[in-house]
Amino acid sequence: MSSKETFTQISPSEFFYRNRDLAGFSNPTRSLYTAVREFIENSLDACDQKGILPDVHMSIKAVDAEKPDPKQYILSVRDNGPGIESKQVPLAFGTVLYGSKFGLKQARGMFGLGATMAILYGQITTNKPLIVKSSTDGKIQDEYEMLLDIQKNKPVILKHETKEVSKGGLSLSIRLEGDYAKAGTKIRDYVYQTSLITPYATITFDDPKGDKYRYTKVVRTMPPSPTIIRPHPHGIDVETIRRMLLDTNYQIPAVDDNMISKVRKELGLANKNLSHSEIMDKTQKKWKALTRPVRTVMALMSFLKMDFEKLSKTTIEEIDIGNKKLTYWDFGESQSVSVDMDPESFYYKQLANTVQGETLTSFLTKRFQRVGPTTALKFAEYAKFKPEHRIGTMTNQELVKLTDALQSFDDFMAPDPSCLAPLGESPLEKGMERFFEPDFLAVVQRGASAYSGFPFIIEMGIAYGGKISSRGINVYRFANRIPLLYDEGSDVVLKVVNDTDWSRYKVKGEPPLVIVSHICSTRVPYKTVGKENVADRPEIERELKLALLSLSRKLSSFMSKRGQAEAAIKRKNLYSKYIPLIAQFCTELAGKKKEPNYKKMITEEPIVEEKT
Amino acid sequence: MKKKPKKKDLEDKHHILTELLKKHGAQIYDDLDKGNFPKFSIPSRSVSNIVYDKKIRQYILGANTAVRSSRNTSQLRSFTQLMWLAFFANRLTRQKKSSTLRDVYYSSQAFEVDFEDQGESDNIIVDLEAVLSSPRESFHVFPEERSSVFGDLTIEYTVPGYQGKKTNLSDHPDGYAIGPSLTSAELIETSAEVVIAIEKGGLFTRFVEEQVDKKFKAIIVDTGGQAPRSTRSLLKRLHDELNLPVVILTDGDVYGEHIAMVIKSGSANAAHLRELTVPDAKWVGVWATDIEKYKLPTIPMTESDIKRCHDLLKDPRYQEGIWKKELEVFLKIKRKAELEAFSKYGLTNITDKYLPQKLEIAKSL
Repeated sequence: MSSKETFTQISPSEFFYRNRDLAGFSNPTRSLYTAVREFIENSLDACDQKGILPDVHMSIKAVDAEKPDPKQYILSVRDNGPGIESKQVPLAFGTVLYGSKFGLKQARGMFGLGATMAILYGQITTNKPLIVKSSTDGKIQDEYEMLLDIQKNKPVILKHETKEVSKGGLSLSIRLEGDYAKAGTKIRDYVYQTSLITPYATITFDDPKGDKYRYTKVVRTMPPSPTIIRPHPHGIDVETIRRMLLDTNYQIPAVDDNMISKVRKELGLANKNLSHSEIMDKTQKKWKALTRPVRTVMALMSFLKMDFEKLSKTTIEEIDIGNKKLTYWDFGESQSVSVDMDPESFYYKQLANTVQGETLTSFLTKRFQRVGPTTALKFAEYAKFKPEHRIGTMTNQELVKLTDALQSFDDFMAPDPSCLAPLGESPLEKGMERFFEPDFLAVVQRGASAYSGFPFIIEMGIAYGGKISSRGINVYRFANRIPLLYDEGSDVVLKVVNDTDWSRYKVKGEPPLVIVSHICSTRVPYKTVGKENVADRPEIERELKLALLSLSRKLSSFMSKRGQAEAAIKRKNLYSKYIPLIAQFCTELAGKKKEPNYKKMITEEPIVEEKT
Repeated sequence: MKKKPKKKDLEDKHHILTELLKKHGAQIYDDLDKGNFPKFSIPSRSVSNIVYDKKIRQYILGANTAVRSSRNTSQLRSFTQLMWLAFFANRLTRQKKSSTLRDVYYSSQAFEVDFEDQGESDNIIVDLEAVLSSPRESFHVFPEERSSVFGDLTIEYTVPGYQGKKTNLSDHPDGYAIGPSLTSAELIETSAEVVIAIEKGGLFTRFVEEQVDKKFKAIIVDTGGQAPRSTRSLLKRLHDELNLPVVILTDGDVYGEHIAMVIKSGSANAAHLRELTVPDAKWVGVWATDIEKYKLPTIPMTESDIKRCHDLLKDPRYQEGIWKKELEVFLKIKRKAELEAFSKYGLTNITDKYLPQKLEIAKSL
């Protein structure tokens, strides 16, 4: 009964090739839309990071305009961003999982995967290469034509040339199978709404039918860029803790030739051959300047009593801190050797420290945001761990216990919102003003709040009347400056808007009303993989409600002022219409010839009066 | 025995009505002339303001009134409509023209008073009835549905073109439709000693054929189910002006009993009017107790019949006498019988046997 399954490792490209549905490339309609999103978001993120006001120009052209959809299109996006260093270009666009966005801060995309996926999709549907033009200095531009080797996850460069240019930036152009007839509305909505939430960018779009969409920037200041920060204890899980423990600082380094030359370099020994004791003397003098891995190697050497020559012929098998034994394999003698370690030795402590990891309190204060020594001590008491408990010695059960305690301890400070990049009230207001030209406009940015250790900020704007059509309340939803176009039915923002009793704010019927909602967070709690609707976390719902409440109140006072003026006009019209009729009827009833003198009743400004 | 009614009654009524309209018109004229927004006070017709008056034995409106002001923009339109209707009623009455609810609705369209539908104009008509305390027939708005009358009664028309012309209501065997001209006619003389109101047209024809009018010295009135207001108004005049007792024959079910009650004491819907009831009218059958007594073929009562019985038992007018007793018997036997049920014993059984007995009983009710 032996099973003979073969397990083969596949490359990330291969994985995504096989699972492209997950990344939004399931059919020509969706794929074209997803490719557009990925390219535009890539450009905007690149500009944001370098503080450049983005100019993004997109075009979609049919390869053969006569053919019916779905058919091949050429999608090109050009930006004025920082560009990509020439030698990085093949890696950046020719491999999957090569991204620069692994830190913890707010960004549109997560890992920069999407653009590569779009390229991959283009290649497998049309077998045409990607054309990248990149200039980092605005003088020299590198132009690549390349394909992706899916099995090897490696770029295949077909052509590479350089030429002189006058502008910097990046331009991507791919050929892909798409269905613009079906995806068109969605793509135009996406471009429109992206421009609304990015008022500091100029975005243009030339569509396959020859229509040109132009959205020029309305503000010239960029929102402050977010900083990368350490995680908050509430947002942590066991796997994350385990990864933090595996940090290189606390690993026993492999003592190979590379390591030995690093040690020699730090000790300033170059190629000199010194005896063991000479080396240890040197070590003591230089200790403070040594890096942690080198210190660990030196501590090992102190017990092994070897020089570099001998050291290179051994490998460490086990460091048993409890029994104070150090075991190594000697290649020369082909045998295991154990040596005792002196627990009083300075080097023993160094080794113990490395093997067992940091203490709990130092782990907390150094590796998490906003945790000070006092909080760390309080936490240790709460979690029933000794403050000096070595993090590296924790069993799996203890790690789970630690994680649970981290998530449930209430006295951590709120998450640091400096990793967030809200748009800001003024740009939002100007963007909405330009897009809607309303009679009334108000915006609000709430203070930072957090759910499950992830900070978030709600920004909201409300616009009424003017050029807004009376088709009821229209809600534009954004998360991290990305428009959420579909699946609005179950979205928390819609829920909050729909739960509002608008008649209380003097908004009735099908009002010409627009609400723009922007959720900024390091992790937006999407309900589905489609990332189109936000789940109703109570903390987020509460902030949305408060934001909407403050805006609705402002709208309400606008409406009542407008209502009073409108009512006065309406009243005057009604009096002018009906009082003459009443006069006519009562004249005949009363048997009089001449009508009563009612003129002053309808010409005078009517008194504002509440209903009786 | 011929009786002479008091003359001039109808003319007086017209005079009072037109004077009332003129008075309201003048009041509003004065308000406008002084630059004041005029208003009407209308007795409230909400359920909470409808009360039963034991003394006059009918539902009446309580003391609550609603003010309709022309200053209030949400009332201005209906105020104008009410004014228009008063104006229109005044013309109808003076020109002695008749119209219907539907006519009123269409007539309004010559003026910009903006009735949204006929329901709205019907409501305004009821408002004017309440303001004037007179049924709409008094200002010449008549119902579409017609019931009939037959018997030795001479009337004199007052409608234009027929003034002074007399007719005897026994001249035509199908009976005379109770329309505007009959309603507004003077009642001159009669040999009848009783008025028999009967719920169904078929039985009305049978009664004429069997010469019930002669045999029992009766005026026969077909109510055509629930009696229209003009019919109730005629019954009242026959009773008040000619001193004739009124007896009522209906199907033997809860709805028949209530038809009789409405003739006697009006309906809650018309609590604002007092000209439509005949408090002395007597319901003589078909009673629930008659079903057993005359061994009538029956049909079972429906759920809604039973519910209606329970509802009526809560009504203050059904708290005594046969009204209460018969309801309870209906509930007990849970069966009902139609007037036609007597045909089981021959077509003339109802006029030969049942009616004489009932007229006899009526005297002691």
